[in-house]
Amino acid sequence: MTAQLVLYFPHLSLALGGLVILLAACLRRTPATLFPILAGVFAALPGLWSLAGPTGASGIGCYYAGLLSVITLATVALTARYAARRGFAGDALYGLVLWSALGMLLLAASDDWLMLIVGLELASLCLYAVVASRLSDPLGTEAALKYFLPGAMSLAVLVFGAALVYAGSGSLIIADSLAAGGPIVSAGLALALIGIGFKLSLAPVHLWTPDVYQGAPAPIAAFLSTGSKAATAAALLHLCAEASPEARELLWPALAGVAGLTMAAGNIGALCQKSVKRILAYSSIAQMGYIAMAAMAVNDGGGEAALFYLAAFALMDLGAFGAVGLLSGEIGDRDDVTAYQGLGYVHPWRAGALAISLLSLAGLPPTAGFIGKFLVFGAALRAGYVGLAAFGIVTAVIGIFYALRVVAALYMQSGVEAHPAIPAPAGPAGGLALGVMAAGVLALGLFPQSLLGAIAALFGGG
Amino acid sequence: MRQLPWLSLLIFWPLVAACCLPLSRGDATACRRFALLAALGELALAGLIAVLFAGPQPDLPVIEDLAWIPSLGIRYSLSLDGLSLIFVVLTALIGVCCMVASRHDDAKRPALYYALILAALSTVQGIFLASDLFLFALFWEAQLIPVFFLIGIFGHGDRMRVAIKFFLFSATGGLLMFLAVIALGILAANGPTGPTFALTDLTHAAVPVTVGRWLFAAFVLSFAIKIPLVPVHMWLPDAHTEAPTAGSLILAGLLLKTGGYALIRFALPLFPEAAHTFAPLLTALGIIGLFYASAVALAQEDVKRLIAYSSIGHMGLAVAAIVSGSRLALGGAVVLMVSHALTSGGLFSLAGMIGERLGSRRFEILGGLWNKAPRFGAAFLFCILASAALPGLSGFVGEAMIVFGLFKTHIWVGVLAVAGMAVTLVYLLRLARDTLFGPARSPLPFADLNARETALLCALAVCILLLGLFPGPVLSLAAGPLDSIAGLVWPAATPGL
Repeated sequence: MTAQLVLYFPHLSLALGGLVILLAACLRRTPATLFPILAGVFAALPGLWSLAGPTGASGIGCYYAGLLSVITLATVALTARYAARRGFAGDALYGLVLWSALGMLLLAASDDWLMLIVGLELASLCLYAVVASRLSDPLGTEAALKYFLPGAMSLAVLVFGAALVYAGSGSLIIADSLAAGGPIVSAGLALALIGIGFKLSLAPVHLWTPDVYQGAPAPIAAFLSTGSKAATAAALLHLCAEASPEARELLWPALAGVAGLTMAAGNIGALCQKSVKRILAYSSIAQMGYIAMAAMAVNDGGGEAALFYLAAFALMDLGAFGAVGLLSGEIGDRDDVTAYQGLGYVHPWRAGALAISLLSLAGLPPTAGFIGKFLVFGAALRAGYVGLAAFGIVTAVIGIFYALRVVAALYMQSGVEAHPAIPAPAGPAGGLALGVMAAGVLALGLFPQSLLGAIAALFGGG
Repeated sequence: MRQLPWLSLLIFWPLVAACCLPLSRGDATACRRFALLAALGELALAGLIAVLFAGPQPDLPVIEDLAWIPSLGIRYSLSLDGLSLIFVVLTALIGVCCMVASRHDDAKRPALYYALILAALSTVQGIFLASDLFLFALFWEAQLIPVFFLIGIFGHGDRMRVAIKFFLFSATGGLLMFLAVIALGILAANGPTGPTFALTDLTHAAVPVTVGRWLFAAFVLSFAIKIPLVPVHMWLPDAHTEAPTAGSLILAGLLLKTGGYALIRFALPLFPEAAHTFAPLLTALGIIGLFYASAVALAQEDVKRLIAYSSIGHMGLAVAAIVSGSRLALGGAVVLMVSHALTSGGLFSLAGMIGERLGSRRFEILGGLWNKAPRFGAAFLFCILASAALPGLSGFVGEAMIVFGLFKTHIWVGVLAVAGMAVTLVYLLRLARDTLFGPARSPLPFADLNARETALLCALAVCILLLGLFPGPVLSLAAGPLDSIAGLVWPAATPGL
């Protein structure tokens, strides 16, 4: 019993955390500032659990518990003051964030098709509500609807795929069922991958992403693009790793096309955008293309590469969206590229964090993005996808262009007078989280060995 | 003495100084003084290293080697041999020149301006010292960032577009080379050494011929953009035109040289077979560049643009010499690159002074400057003559060695090179005529060089003269590394100097 408790400690702490927050809201005298603190404490618990390295837990489970804990904690910290200033903080927001983190954790570490579906749906259902949490904002509501419809679609496809796999193999365990092979299982796997592709916003089913990220409040967009993507990518990696050779032969060319198309669509789509949040959304689409490429090479070191890249991506996207949130005025988010002109000198720290995150998204040294690209492309080359890797590098050049556009607006133009919207105060937690993200991006870029060593140990022991 | 991390000090000293600069951001004079001191410190450090390790008892190469990312076989390994030392000292020297080149450009944000220059120096030193391919690729990409901001924030005119253009051109090549570095690492990982990115190990890695050619092409494309060779040179004239003076000094004096240095240091020894295959193509591009740049330079209306095109011509000649297979020409190419850094540094500084004094650098308002400012005129003419390879000045040594070497290996290339140099003279003399002589076409006064500018140009002139009259030390420094590279690539023909 104790062993079971230890094993499911992260899940329990997240589930309990949500309940405790909702219960605390029932008490009349609970101050509003208590919710983010409670949420932060419960979000931190899985991270501490994974650091302690409990016996019996799988290495991968530990890794995702740690990663999702960091993402949730950073989201709570970035949201705290942001939501309070804009009047949408409350018990529901934080409770739902914790529960969707629980869903992500289930999804990431699932060994069973049903668990995968339940986790995905729990995470998504909570996120639909969180995206629309700013009731006064019609854009947010629209975003939630646009998030919900493709989400429902993807769930239907995924469930049908899982059903086919079950029908073809007679097993709901992911590893066993996929190992069984056969045309029905392959068809089911294809449908499941399409469903996951929706959630991961792989092209050509990526079009919902920019609208949703633009409409959602910036810290929530950070949570969407990092937490939900990391967990879904974990599922993708898992499915790819377990796929039978015949399924690979059938599906991998299509997956290669999807990965290439995603890189191109994400990077090219960002070229003409005027909104920074849309640029970041397209950039996150492109990053998922790189992850998909690593997933194809999952047995040639792509798994480790993708895990590192997910962590690096989480840091830089949280940094970028977080900086957007902290630079925003109280009415809407600061969104237009021209509204960022000259901010590098007015708010050097927040703009500096944004610039570092953008340079990392572009894959420039000395940031985590550079090492991440190195690992991902190394895995692709090792697995023999030379053409895809070369194509990916060419699209990465485009990725540099739009990142530089925003950086250039921050530092090379003086136009603050034209956009006098003064950012709302960041709050200590938000500022700290942003600083930690930026520092983490640099630290992972300069000293990647600590994380790489940990990942290698997980794979060795897991 | 060897225990001190000399090479890391060379790289990180400017970076640390750059990080300290914002502390005095309110006070322009303090910033200038601090930045100059930091650059002088770097020069002193480079000089000290030269005396200690390349002095009477040479003790090269100096090596630093630490594990960095052991699971991938990536090491923080730096190595300084004679060839690196030449460029390290050159970098430190150009760094000092940047600090005193202008008192106009830095007016906006002095602390940021000098911090960016120092950061650029730091990354360039890293390129010249790295002996691990991953580390090299990292510095290769990283060097773009400070220069990007330097042009984009402190440049003139359409600076943002030009800065992005510069970055994208270089990053395209850089990323393809990055992919080639990864591929090379993967190929070598199957070998006896395990995963490694060390240059010495990769030199002996078994690379299939076709793969080697593709990888060489990726490397050379990246270097060619930086050098720049002719079809991929479009970023250079724009970048120079809009860059602040110090930016031009860094571009022409250092960034272009990193391209030539990397071609010698990395591309040739890593892929000797491919180097043979592509040598005719590179020679042709270099010689075409020499003629093309001369023709285009003649039509320029802006002093800085003309000098920028002259860079393309000179570097084209250097590339033709590097791949020619003649050891003599290879040595000449190194001298030519150093000489070009010095002369173009002087010319760009002087062009910057014209811009500061008259508000424009167009030929239509120039002329008669010798009468108005004799010291300025003398310095300008001196740099032009050095660039035109007047005997006794630095340009002559390099070009003479290249021509002798080329005649030995490919007589027609030698003939074309000589003809190209003659064409070079035309636009250089036109530059002298239209700025210094003839009637003055601008009523504005033109102040002569002040003490700071005189000191800068005197220092450069002394270096140009020294290199022209006594090239021996530089040649003997480079001899060891160049011999081993030439022995690797052209084992048949390694005649001494």
